[in-house]
Amino acid sequence: MENHTEYIDDYFAGNLNPEERKNFEKQMELDKNFAVEVAFYVAAKQALKEELVDEKKEWFRELASQNVTLSEKTESAPVRRIWVYRLAAAAVFVGIVFFSWSLFFQSSTTSPNELADKYINTNLENLGVTMGVLDSMQEALQLYNAKQYTKALQNFEQIIQRDTSNYTAKQHAGECSLMLGNYDKALSYFQQLGTYTLYSNPAIFYQALTLMKRNQPGDKEEARRLLKQVVDNDLDGKEPARDWLNKKW
Amino acid sequence: MNLFKPFLLPDEREIIDSIEKNGAERKKGEECLFNRYAYFIKEGIHKFSLSYEDAFDLYSDTIISAIEKIINGSFQGRSSLKTWVYQIFHNKYVDLLRKKSTNKSSIHRTLSISDPLFQVADNSKTIIQQLVDKTDWTVLKQKLKEVGDNCRQMLMFWADGYSDKEIAVAMEYKTSDVVKTTRLRCLEKLKQLYHSS
Repeated sequence: MENHTEYIDDYFAGNLNPEERKNFEKQMELDKNFAVEVAFYVAAKQALKEELVDEKKEWFRELASQNVTLSEKTESAPVRRIWVYRLAAAAVFVGIVFFSWSLFFQSSTTSPNELADKYINTNLENLGVTMGVLDSMQEALQLYNAKQYTKALQNFEQIIQRDTSNYTAKQHAGECSLMLGNYDKALSYFQQLGTYTLYSNPAIFYQALTLMKRNQPGDKEEARRLLKQVVDNDLDGKEPARDWLNKKW
Repeated sequence: MNLFKPFLLPDEREIIDSIEKNGAERKKGEECLFNRYAYFIKEGIHKFSLSYEDAFDLYSDTIISAIEKIINGSFQGRSSLKTWVYQIFHNKYVDLLRKKSTNKSSIHRTLSISDPLFQVADNSKTIIQQLVDKTDWTVLKQKLKEVGDNCRQMLMFWADGYSDKEIAVAMEYKTSDVVKTTRLRCLEKLKQLYHSS
């Protein structure tokens, strides 16, 4: 078997030019022996990473055993138990008072738009990119992070044209459309994303988020219905969804 | 440098700067980061009703993930380090709950952004993933112990995200080219050991 280790290493290190990358990827599809070599490279790195994690955890365990605050708290916990119950009772009482107050006297409401903006600013302004690698997806992600949403959207749509099953590109195309204020298009992409059975799929949550941003008649009610669906079915975005449902809007 | 991250306290900046370096500096930064929020373990026990072991694992995974994100530049510094680390800790807790309730962890291996497969084009990804899934992990990890201390250390540095230049400094090699040649030879050796088993 021919030795390709350096060639493979250069690919993953991002040292190949776009043409060479394309050839490399073609070879993976056509040459089984080559694909086996690539798979070994990937598996070796994965195994090494797992070893690293195990080593780090061992080291953390040593650090934790030397951590005074941690051991003090662990030892004193049973002695304080009665206080914990009293504190819990006091907290419940304060909670009930506060809840009643907010229920009867507090009339301020939050706008769905504000909630959505806050979420978008915190979570969607930057998408993860892979350092040192520049394929079309990474290029599009970089454009997105540089806030060039129109160009990024064009790139994601080109990826979708080439590979209609690429759900990641569909998700990012939806995110671009959302950032551009093109809510109908964003909804369409997130609905398409929702058709995939994935381990982690934020499609429903993103549809609710988009409706909260669009804020047309009926959107608020539909957004709340979708958020309830996210919470009830333990879907992606459950935490913010539950938080938002507890607010008045 | 993290001068443009206004929410960071000076000592948080110091931790991040140390982690972004390599060798002893990085290890010191990792230790500071772990110790700084180690009380989250107690929070995990009291707030989330976890056993010490589960809370410790959760916190360790959080710190490992935070270190990885700091190194690959995903930490934007839009909040204090504590808020950010707590967010990761909380997300990991939600993942843990989900795994416990659905047992999904036994079916799917999640793909991290730093995973080499993340870089592979979608068409080839499936082929490679299927081949990777056939790996005998026990044998591979056993063979890692047999490649020799020097090789193992070099490969561990590589998996930890060190560049060949940084490995050259850490392991006192003359140039990064020598490191690359040695590292690839070590990988070859590992491959032969694995396939000969």
